[in-house]
Amino acid sequence: MAEIRKAAVIGAGVMGAGIAAHIANAGVPVVLLDIVPTGAPDRSALAKGAIEKMLKADPAPFMHQRAARLITPGNLEDDLHLLADADWIVEAVIERPDVKQGLYRKLEEVRRPGSIVSSNTSTIPLAMLTHGLPEGFARDFLVTHFFNPPRYMRLLEVVAGPSTRPEAVRTIREFCDVRLGKGVVDCKDRPGFIANRLGIVWMQSSVVGAIDLELTVEEADAVVGRPMGIPKTGVFGLFDLVGIDLMPHVHASMAAALPKTDAYHAIARDIPLFHRMIEQGYTGRKGKGGFYRLNRAGGGRVKEGIDLSTGEYRPTMAPSLDSLDEAKSNLRALVEHPDKGGRYAWWVLARTLSYAAGLVPEAADDIVAIDEAMRLGYNWRWGPFELIDKLGSGWFVERLRADGLPVPKLLEVADGRPFYRVEGGRPQYLSLEGDYRDVARPPGVLLLSDVKLRSKPLAKNASAALWDIGDGVVCLEFTSKMNSLDTETVAMIGRAVATVRKGGFKAMVIHNEGANFSVGANLGLVLFAANIAAWPEIEAIIKAGQDAMKALKYAPFPVVGAPSGMALGGGCEVLLHCDAVQAHAETYAGLVEVGVGVVPGWGGCKEMLARWFANPKRPAGPVPPVAKVFETISVATVAKSAAEAKDHLFLRPDDGITMNRDRLLADAKARALAMVPGYATPEPPQFNLPGPTAKAAMSLAVDVFRQMGKATEHDVVVADALADVLSGGDTDVTVTLGEDDLLALERQAFMRLLRTPATLDRMEHMLETGKPLRN
Amino acid sequence: MATYKAPLRDMRFVFNELYDGSKLAELSGYEEATPDLVDAVLEESSKLCEQVLFPINRSGDEEGCRFENGVVYTPKGFKEAYDTFVEGGWTAINCDPAYGGQGLPKFLDAMVVEMICSSNLSFGTYPGLTNGAYHAITAYGSDELKDKYLPNMVAGKWSGAMCLTEPHCGTDLGLLRTKAVPQDDGSHKITGTKIFITAGEHDLTENIIHLVLARLPDAPKGVKGISLFLVPKFLVKDDGSLGPRNGVACGAIEHKMGIKASSTCVMNFDDATGWLVGEPHKGMRAMFKMMNTERLMVGIQGLGLAEVAYQGAVAYARERLQGRALTGVKHPDKPADPIIVHPDVRRMLLTMRAYTEGCRALAGWVSMSLDLMGHHPDPRARQEADDLVALLTPIVKALFTDLGFEATNLGMQVYGGHGYIREQGMEQYVRDARITQVYEGTNGVQALDLVGRKMPAHAGRYLRRFFHPVAAFIEEKQADPVMQEFALPLAKAFGRLQQATGHIARAGMANPDEAGAGASEYLRLFGLVALGYMWARMAEIALARQDGDEAAFYKAKLDTARFYMQRILPQAGGLYSAISAGSRTMMAFDEAAF
Repeated sequence: MAEIRKAAVIGAGVMGAGIAAHIANAGVPVVLLDIVPTGAPDRSALAKGAIEKMLKADPAPFMHQRAARLITPGNLEDDLHLLADADWIVEAVIERPDVKQGLYRKLEEVRRPGSIVSSNTSTIPLAMLTHGLPEGFARDFLVTHFFNPPRYMRLLEVVAGPSTRPEAVRTIREFCDVRLGKGVVDCKDRPGFIANRLGIVWMQSSVVGAIDLELTVEEADAVVGRPMGIPKTGVFGLFDLVGIDLMPHVHASMAAALPKTDAYHAIARDIPLFHRMIEQGYTGRKGKGGFYRLNRAGGGRVKEGIDLSTGEYRPTMAPSLDSLDEAKSNLRALVEHPDKGGRYAWWVLARTLSYAAGLVPEAADDIVAIDEAMRLGYNWRWGPFELIDKLGSGWFVERLRADGLPVPKLLEVADGRPFYRVEGGRPQYLSLEGDYRDVARPPGVLLLSDVKLRSKPLAKNASAALWDIGDGVVCLEFTSKMNSLDTETVAMIGRAVATVRKGGFKAMVIHNEGANFSVGANLGLVLFAANIAAWPEIEAIIKAGQDAMKALKYAPFPVVGAPSGMALGGGCEVLLHCDAVQAHAETYAGLVEVGVGVVPGWGGCKEMLARWFANPKRPAGPVPPVAKVFETISVATVAKSAAEAKDHLFLRPDDGITMNRDRLLADAKARALAMVPGYATPEPPQFNLPGPTAKAAMSLAVDVFRQMGKATEHDVVVADALADVLSGGDTDVTVTLGEDDLLALERQAFMRLLRTPATLDRMEHMLETGKPLRN
Repeated sequence: MATYKAPLRDMRFVFNELYDGSKLAELSGYEEATPDLVDAVLEESSKLCEQVLFPINRSGDEEGCRFENGVVYTPKGFKEAYDTFVEGGWTAINCDPAYGGQGLPKFLDAMVVEMICSSNLSFGTYPGLTNGAYHAITAYGSDELKDKYLPNMVAGKWSGAMCLTEPHCGTDLGLLRTKAVPQDDGSHKITGTKIFITAGEHDLTENIIHLVLARLPDAPKGVKGISLFLVPKFLVKDDGSLGPRNGVACGAIEHKMGIKASSTCVMNFDDATGWLVGEPHKGMRAMFKMMNTERLMVGIQGLGLAEVAYQGAVAYARERLQGRALTGVKHPDKPADPIIVHPDVRRMLLTMRAYTEGCRALAGWVSMSLDLMGHHPDPRARQEADDLVALLTPIVKALFTDLGFEATNLGMQVYGGHGYIREQGMEQYVRDARITQVYEGTNGVQALDLVGRKMPAHAGRYLRRFFHPVAAFIEEKQADPVMQEFALPLAKAFGRLQQATGHIARAGMANPDEAGAGASEYLRLFGLVALGYMWARMAEIALARQDGDEAAFYKAKLDTARFYMQRILPQAGGLYSAISAGSRTMMAFDEAAF
């Protein structure tokens, strides 16, 4: 298989630039070209400007500022030669076939034979794009449809034409899967491919249903939101995000492209409110507002929603529907509820889910592709066929018939059977032919969820579990809400070490498939215990956590952390005590304890000191490492990617990064096994810390921040306690402190801070709002 | 024979020594509440209660209320006593001066209420309900409603009533059916039947202002669809004079175990005209405001009854001659020793005393917190006081009334067979006390409120307002040799309370039945620790004042504190065991086998 060593992106708009940035995130050099703007002094201003803008954007398209240097900006007139050695050229220019084809013809003159060209089109059929172009081009051409923003949205739809070389498809699939971390879904060359085709039907039916059944936007969003597993932006929030002005174009193109028999036409209808909103500039978040807006009139900040019947704004109204109150998370109960919320839920689901069923084999080979596309491309918690299974496919069909709605063939094939089942511990899906087939996992993908289907845990309690993931490796999984860490987790860490040793296992991986590796210690428990003044109990919990971390670190076998998402506070401390980490690229690590008014108490301060002291690049003397750790922890630094985490030493320079989440566990397991031969437990660190003089210097720095208004009153108190720990307490450089001395200092500082009302206020605020309190 | 002298010395101890009540005069709005005025109010209140209300307590119980043709007649002497009460300005004591009130601190008011409850609980319900309605209207009513109704309510010319319960729903108000139909002029037509309405109808005032919970036509189901309405017995004209009778009438009064001189009415609303108080569908919030104040007041009813029962029991124990002391004759001049020589009689008397003075001290903390939450200049201090009141409200209500019932029962027990005879007046206290455990939310509901709402609120922030001062006190005092006999038992019981709190929070999260099963014992444990804290603090003050003119008072304080620490607080261990046993024995019991 060919390798992608260099890539190019044509078109430096939001998508093109984002794709280029993400290719750079993978460490691959990439050329970014756009047209020469008329009258611009710099002929490459568009590409350069896009990179500049991306360096400042939030959320950041780059995983590390360094990645920007891998992008070579240029323009389509002077720099086409830069494409000569590109292995892959992505076209992301305006959605006009003539423009795209014109570009392709130019590419044919410069590109290397056998290089691959793909288009990021979302609306133009591949057949139209290759029409009239040389066969050699068509052989190297495919569609790679990224979702916005390319770094963060995991879906990549791939469409190959009849002439496309299978080798080219394999190369791109492999590269995008392994190197870019995408979930690659094969689509047929049909309008809107999979995700947008179904997404548009879903959005359209959500609006029409809300208008016809007279729901408010808030009610509609509440119904489609949590019960259906849609992100909390809801459907109207999504319109505001993508831009309402886009909708008429999308509908026009879909209406033109789809055959008259397509069920799309039954729900497509002109919505006058859209036109009025667009005319008046209410195009969504980029305009004056959309279905929701923040009214700042008179200096206020009033969140408003639009009245779907009058088109006037009014303050948002909390939805109050019996159906939502009564059905809670039971989807079937919701759609069976007689109130308008229940009727609306059915309206939307009946149309959306049956349309999804009609997409096999029309747009996708199987249901797995459709579910994957909606989960990864629209962030649905459940794909449409998983939703049908929640309702019961037999019940769903009966209800469709009762309402006189068409029943697609796939639903008849199902004949009341579920779309997914587990057979012999393997997940299977229902094919169009009516038989069940294994859900395929590509090589190099190991999912803990699959392990869990086929085996029983080695051990389990309320907050964690241990799994045998094969080849002598145990996986420690956190299972609590948001994977917060509590006494049960701590107990399971101790048990894990014993299980690996006694069970003849070779290594351990710490991994879970939650949205976040761990958000840290269970704050609610700590706060509650503090509120009832259970001081000795809290100190015992801190101590037990420190002991568990040491048990991990000094276990007689390799321990590899495999985080994805947030690894904060205690979650970060777990990683700091692992022998190695194989991190998902989207890992957000940080010691954020000061945000809730305490200091890292499970060895975080200690490990960070040890790492900075051991850093060969550090300046001489005992103060710089202490200052560096203080700088990192005192402002609750969170790395915005695994790459950034290395800068802060939350990860070691040689820790591994996996771009695709689904490949994380397998990579971590391989890493752990590689460490087994000749494994030796680490040497405990020793510290010669500067003591009170260094502390005074740090306090002085904080005082300056306080005077500048950048630090709050309680920041000073917390920073003082942190400085006390990091400087080694009452010591000086001639004294050698051990690990336990540092741990004792952490405990003392933690307990001292916990007794301050301002710290408890911070904890309460964080628990109730999810945001830090700046008191 | 029942007897009552207001415990002014102990009240002053709580007001001035245990808490620095004079500090309240520094708060904006309480400038008048100088020590002199506070003293004078307590003094005057004691006279009114001892001389006007107490004498008609037993006769009122004997006679009861009478219902004839839709009219309720209170017992003989009640109307006259009420007029005296009003003339003295007692209906206005804690009300806003803007409406003719005296604006005195709730701390002081709570002591006055205690005296009223000791001397005549039935009588106290009439002004008590008015005061509850006054607070709800003040907090949620429109200015128009306030201006129209509050001045006459404050003046005692009109009274108030709270109409919540319906025949099919009491605790679960989400089920209620009374309807409110909006009218073009902004008023509503209210139709429905309410029961158990205390002071719903009587002959003490010319008008009665009902606060009624009802449902608007578009109301959501359950408690989120309940609105509060003001419905006067007589419509009030724009000039403030009384107009025609409104469509509200008393259908019957209940015949009940106690508080017989307090009318408990069935109220029928038939297209009665009413006005919305607060926002539509937000009636429960307003009602809770009223109910929280009422719950504290009901707790104080328990305290008041315990006090008067104690006084009656002591008087009898001193004069009743019967048998001889176990250790030999104590009064050879008399045919027998007074029964006060017996340990078991002393056990009863000291139990009553320890409860009563402990509860009075705790009531002081809560009522002073009410003042702080309304008047303190620092929002943080207001918040802390608010938290403490929220936490301790179910405890004051349930603990005080449970202990009130125990104490009145002990008071009757001291009298032996004579206590069972109506003439002595002691059995009335038992009967009167019994309702306080039931109304304003049964004590079981209070326990659920404590473990289900107050405990988890803001991850335990309400708890902090109690646990932190107690923990700090223990940390400070347990090293002090003279305080150890109080601080150490308190520390032990407090440790149990911490463990029980952790257990209920943890187990209740996994299975709400676990919290429900231990709730009542938990409330009692919490209450006993709270009284323990009060007694330890009172002992500390008393220790410093063992010499001097009032040595006897402080010695008694200290000895009662010792009794509490050694004889009552150890119950904490047993309660903890029961709480940690959980729900299994109850919930696993086959329902058919009951």
